[in-house]
Amino acid sequence: MSLFGTTSGFGTSGTSMFGSTTTDNHNPMKDIEVTSSPDDSIGCLSFSPPTLPGNFLIAGSWANDVRCWEVQDSGQTIPKAQQMHTGPVLDVCWSDDGSKVFTASCDKTAKMWDLNSNQAIQIAQHDAPVKTIHWIKAPNYSCVMTGSWDKTLKFWDTRSSNPMMVLQLPERCYCADMIYPMAVVATAERGLIVYQLENQPSEFRRIESPLKHQHRCVAIFKDKQNKPTGFALGSIEGRVAIHYINPPNPAKDNFTFKCHRSNGTNTSAPQDIYAVNGIAFHPVHGTLATVGSDGRFSFWDKDARTKLKTSEQLDQPISACCFNHNGNIFAYASSYDWSKGHEFYNPQKKNYIFLRNAAEELKPRNKK
Amino acid sequence: MGRKKKKQLKPWCWYCNRDFDDEKILIQHQKAKHFKCHICHKKLYTGPGLAIHCMQVHKETIDAVPNAIPGRTDIELEIYGMEGIPEKDMDERRRLLEQKTQESQKKKQQDDSDEYDDDDSAASTSFQPQPVQPQQGYIPPMAQPGLPPVPGAPGMPPGIPPLMPGVPPLMPGMPPVMPGMPPGLHHQRKYTQSFCGENIMMPMGGMMPPGPGIPPLMPGMPPGMPPPVPRPGIPPMTQAQAVSAPGILNRPPAPTAAVPAPQPPVTKPLFPSAGQAQAAVQGPVGTDFKPLSSTPATTTEPPKPTFPAYTQSTASTTSTTNSTAAKPAASITSKPATLTTTSATSKLIHPDEDISLEERRAQLPKYQRNLPRPGQAPIGNPPVGPIGAMMPPQPGIPQQQGMRPPMPPHGQYGGHHQGMPGYLPGAMPPYGQGPPMVPPYQGGPPRPPMGMRPPVMSQGGRY
Repeated sequence: MSLFGTTSGFGTSGTSMFGSTTTDNHNPMKDIEVTSSPDDSIGCLSFSPPTLPGNFLIAGSWANDVRCWEVQDSGQTIPKAQQMHTGPVLDVCWSDDGSKVFTASCDKTAKMWDLNSNQAIQIAQHDAPVKTIHWIKAPNYSCVMTGSWDKTLKFWDTRSSNPMMVLQLPERCYCADMIYPMAVVATAERGLIVYQLENQPSEFRRIESPLKHQHRCVAIFKDKQNKPTGFALGSIEGRVAIHYINPPNPAKDNFTFKCHRSNGTNTSAPQDIYAVNGIAFHPVHGTLATVGSDGRFSFWDKDARTKLKTSEQLDQPISACCFNHNGNIFAYASSYDWSKGHEFYNPQKKNYIFLRNAAEELKPRNKK
Repeated sequence: MGRKKKKQLKPWCWYCNRDFDDEKILIQHQKAKHFKCHICHKKLYTGPGLAIHCMQVHKETIDAVPNAIPGRTDIELEIYGMEGIPEKDMDERRRLLEQKTQESQKKKQQDDSDEYDDDDSAASTSFQPQPVQPQQGYIPPMAQPGLPPVPGAPGMPPGIPPLMPGVPPLMPGMPPVMPGMPPGLHHQRKYTQSFCGENIMMPMGGMMPPGPGIPPLMPGMPPGMPPPVPRPGIPPMTQAQAVSAPGILNRPPAPTAAVPAPQPPVTKPLFPSAGQAQAAVQGPVGTDFKPLSSTPATTTEPPKPTFPAYTQSTASTTSTTNSTAAKPAASITSKPATLTTTSATSKLIHPDEDISLEERRAQLPKYQRNLPRPGQAPIGNPPVGPIGAMMPPQPGIPQQQGMRPPMPPHGQYGGHHQGMPGYLPGAMPPYGQGPPMVPPYQGGPPRPPMGMRPPVMSQGGRY
């Protein structure tokens, strides 16, 4: 019995090592399917922080809901709770202590969901859909950072309805990431801004985009000392740029690589180029995963500059991904991302979230 | 490159116009990129060899050399390294190189960054070579007006005033180049060296101060500065600005990090203009990716005057990986939000408008309904009972949803109007929907789970 009501036969609690042996390609990688998945496209995924024992997964969807599952070591997924917005949920994140979940929605608000009480209150307001949300825990302050299509980046103390700070963005916020003390925001028109968050958030640098196409996703990576040192930026043109903030040799250290493209080495067929929908770094190995509109995920080692693995092709785009806190689980969502427009949207098509064991596959290659 | 060697001496690949240091490397490249069987990945030695292999082993015909630029895909031409290249193509290449070396003296090259593995094809993006263009555009006009006698000392004093107006406009142009510079610094170094070679090191040293602080320095500008400054000065200045030391040429990497920092006031206004430059740049960049000129047909970019020339030379110089597999050549045509999604060799799987997928989707009426799924309100009530027992603070549901402090919900937030067309017409009534504890899903079975939840929730405070 699923807390989330009838979604399909998968209402049974438990592992779905479904033996769907039909020719459908919805899970060619034979990964664990999360039960009671949302009814519309999944826009964001987030695992609980290490402060919580166990693993809890949060997913926000275009059905206006945010769902929470407990993921047990056996692979069993147990739906736990759900909250609603009045518009599609575009981003979710956890507080550092794992007691709250922050959700950002097209209804122009962001909410704080207290999991203990299962109550959600509004903590932020924008003039347009809120696209990104991150919890910042600094030594001298804590706040929620929201990026919106209203071209502002706002910082909220959850106890007040007025933002602590409002920073103007050059354009609509498309994606953001934050690892203290650094935050990166990528906007429309290929805008790219880095912020430093010490003492208080301030703009650190505007960067000329290393990519030639619309920015779609960004993820910060850390150096060997666990300090944020750069970011990976994905665009709609099947390409990811690895960019260091202060590299010793930018020309050599920064680079881009192509991904999520159909096989185009055949001279006749034009190559299909897909958007990179999400990038996530493995918390332990520092290797990264990318997921694309082509319905594949790939693992990469940015230091060895090699690809570690590419998955089989799912029958739907992969719209979101994330790693759990220790990197053992890689979650990815299979649902339509609108890459082919309205015509290819099938509301009847099931949306999935898959979990994969990521402990081995993301080990870095030995440096050449 | 500052070398005067002609390209004909330096090996290049006939199929894709790329340069190589060594013929051996060129051959390796050809084997890997052009003579590799796409079915079994066996590397052959020549085009005809590949064709024969495919026919005999896989029973498949191929009609074009893989990863070759259009016009150079002839499978029947027996080319091996530099041997077998038709004479007319050699001549054409030589001509292109001569043109390029003329232009490249003034220009800075950007390095192409490389990709992950071979199969994903060769070097990809170049970091905004275009911003260099505006510089180019600046130099000549600046040099001309007030400084015809460039080296001439008498020309200097009169040169200073004309320099003034010229320089500030240049400033904004500089920083956008800055960030773009780092990637290609080692190339730039070569250029500036040759530059200095032509124009004497001395002006460089003198130029430093004017670099970052042109306006303030104006009055104090030593004679002999201005004339050289505009022409040779401009490009080297970008480095000089940051370094402000005679040893510029050797220290470009260092300043790049420093450069943006000292100039925040400059970078802010620059970003939008850089954005425009980029927007315009997209055209040439698109064509830059493809030396093939099929994109210009699709690109609607009206390039700045300097672009065509630059594009042409970059086409030959940048070892663009314009294999058929590579560049999408989909250029984003500036602000008028459309993308060029299709080109001869590739197709961007993305709607044409240059807005994000989420924005596009959110415009649908289906996703703009303010109220959650119909039926929630009524359904939501009964469960609230048990939940209410579980969660004491339920006096007024609307309030619960609102911000605790001053939250006249509708008043304060309801007034916000749409920044974007068609978005939820402001209301906050939804909050009245109450604790969205799965109201829509309460239909059938929920009760038991609902009952379950409290224990789950209150366990150790975890949930």
